[in-house]
Amino acid sequence: MSILIDQETRLIVQGITGREGRFHTEQMLSYGTRVVAGVTPGKGGSDVLGVPVFNTVREAKEATDANATIIFVPAKFTKDSVLEAIDAGMKLIFTIAEHVPVHDMMFCYQIARARGVRLFGPNSFGVISPGKCKAGFMAHRMFTPGNVGVMSRSATNCYETVLMLSNNGIGQSTCVGNGGDMIPGSTFVDVLPDFQADPETKAIVIIGEIGGNEEELAAAYIKEHATKPVVAMIAGKNAPKDRSMGHAGAIVSADGTGSAQSKEAALQDAGAIIAQSTQHILEIMLELKSKGKI
Amino acid sequence: MKLLEYKAKELFEQFGVPVMHGCVVDDLGTIAQTIENAGLTYPVVVKAQVQIGGRGKAGGIRFADNAGEAGEHCRALLHSELKGYRVDKLLIVEKAEHEIEWYLSIMLDRLSKRPMIIFSAEGGVDIEETSRISPSRVHKLVIDPMIGIQAYMARYFLSASGLSLDYLGRMHELLCNLYRCFNAYDCMLCEINPLILDKKGQFIALDSKVDIDDSALYRLPDMAAFRDSIQEEALIREARDFGFLYIPIEKDGSIAVMSNGSGMLMSCIDLISREGMKVCAALDLGGGATSERIAQAVRILVSTPGIKALLINIFGGITRCDEVAGGIKLALMSAKKNMTAVIRLEGTNKEKGLEIIASLEGDIVPVPGLRESVQALKDRRERL
Repeated sequence: MSILIDQETRLIVQGITGREGRFHTEQMLSYGTRVVAGVTPGKGGSDVLGVPVFNTVREAKEATDANATIIFVPAKFTKDSVLEAIDAGMKLIFTIAEHVPVHDMMFCYQIARARGVRLFGPNSFGVISPGKCKAGFMAHRMFTPGNVGVMSRSATNCYETVLMLSNNGIGQSTCVGNGGDMIPGSTFVDVLPDFQADPETKAIVIIGEIGGNEEELAAAYIKEHATKPVVAMIAGKNAPKDRSMGHAGAIVSADGTGSAQSKEAALQDAGAIIAQSTQHILEIMLELKSKGKI
Repeated sequence: MKLLEYKAKELFEQFGVPVMHGCVVDDLGTIAQTIENAGLTYPVVVKAQVQIGGRGKAGGIRFADNAGEAGEHCRALLHSELKGYRVDKLLIVEKAEHEIEWYLSIMLDRLSKRPMIIFSAEGGVDIEETSRISPSRVHKLVIDPMIGIQAYMARYFLSASGLSLDYLGRMHELLCNLYRCFNAYDCMLCEINPLILDKKGQFIALDSKVDIDDSALYRLPDMAAFRDSIQEEALIREARDFGFLYIPIEKDGSIAVMSNGSGMLMSCIDLISREGMKVCAALDLGGGATSERIAQAVRILVSTPGIKALLINIFGGITRCDEVAGGIKLALMSAKKNMTAVIRLEGTNKEKGLEIIASLEGDIVPVPGLRESVQALKDRRERL
């Protein structure tokens, strides 16, 4: 097993004829991902690397019975593409563009929730179930099959961690890029139940960062439901204040929500093991491994 | 992007949010004329348009009883420096006569992932302060985008604050207008503090604060133009022209950090800080690490005042390390500064990249990982 995607995933690539879309379609195909259709308005009827291209998601889904879609279109078209996918009945959507306007994402988020759609990203590397399937642009060579579930708000911190895990013989069941934006389609607490239920996943790594309350929500879930070891790291303890969040974020965090201290305290209280760095995550995982827990 | 007060005031006006009558002064030669043309009723307030805290205390807010006095204040303030910021614009507004001072804002609430209205009958002071001292006097309401603004919301704020429902119609209209502004301009925050009632019983935004989502500037041409007109640290602007994000960290720091992701940057800063060393600036390359881009990024970063060491941590997977190394070489050779450069490369053509790094002269330290890069800096602590 694994979560979200595997050999059964039948993926659409929205924006397949673009530079990024084409390149990463090739990468995904070579990894074994079943890319069944592409969508680019005006390019319907053509193909990319043998993958049929359609003008709309609706036509692509009807023709191929796809069950997931990844959106490689630029930020300014992301809202339209997400809503198109939702309206076409897609239930699993990955979106990766950086700099999607937050008002666009707020709308997409609300619609996705109302329609029971699982939306990931934006500003995310996607999702990979090593050895089975990847939907995203991550450099897949560093990922290895195994039984640690990883999810991260940051791509680079995830890569760093995964490379060290893989080099030390610790593989991953699935790695999820939640994305670094203010309003991600899914957060840790949305994915935790999947990892908890997945028999292949023996331990869970959460790579969080300052801002928002995603880690606090995850902590509440862990406290109630998690029976697997959870290792968590919070990046940004020494990041300059007010640089990216500003006043709007500071009002709601008057109670301390959003700070690394608050997040670590909540996670620790929930029974998670706190790592101080990506290197520390590896050390903790090696210890879990030596105890036979993973 | 936080707007200057005068710009936020213009925006509010555009959406029917009433503001004080006034004018903007930005030219020493036409001060008297501008003031006269504005047809102001005295007394007035002259406000320096700079984004600093404690603007009043720093002398950036002055009162005048007639046009002559206002002109004097303008001549004294315009192009002067307040807390290190040059004053390029002044806002002159009529001094308000009012009794109530309320607080009203709409912000993007990342917890509920919806817009949220915040209201308090205790305005004129910092809302965070009010939240802390008397949280029961701050009222919040999350807006369901499908519901939008409805009259019951105005009713709720008035009722919860113990205020007369006579204000209902005016309050509802104000909320509608502010929400239209919030959505039309991709706002993170639209804040009125204080919100006052003038002698005619009309609500007026005495101070205006607006924060706009940078990612939406492409569809807000007037605001993109405004951004280009405001003062920013030269390095931030230069970096943005190349698509980089330059973040000043600590003024007395000596280490600059560069990476291709904000998560990795934060990790680097955390680890360096934990060892008691200080970071002066950070630069996020974003995607597309060609040698020219890398060279520009290094050039910008080494221009940071006080920099003694550079930590470059590129972890791209598909990023070509030889491209990165070539860029580093280009920039360090032309920088002519004798500084330490700790370099960690991970990705395609790593060996080739390391060869290029090894050919560089000076204190250039290739390292295999994040931990080793911090150790290399620690070994040189005395010199940093």
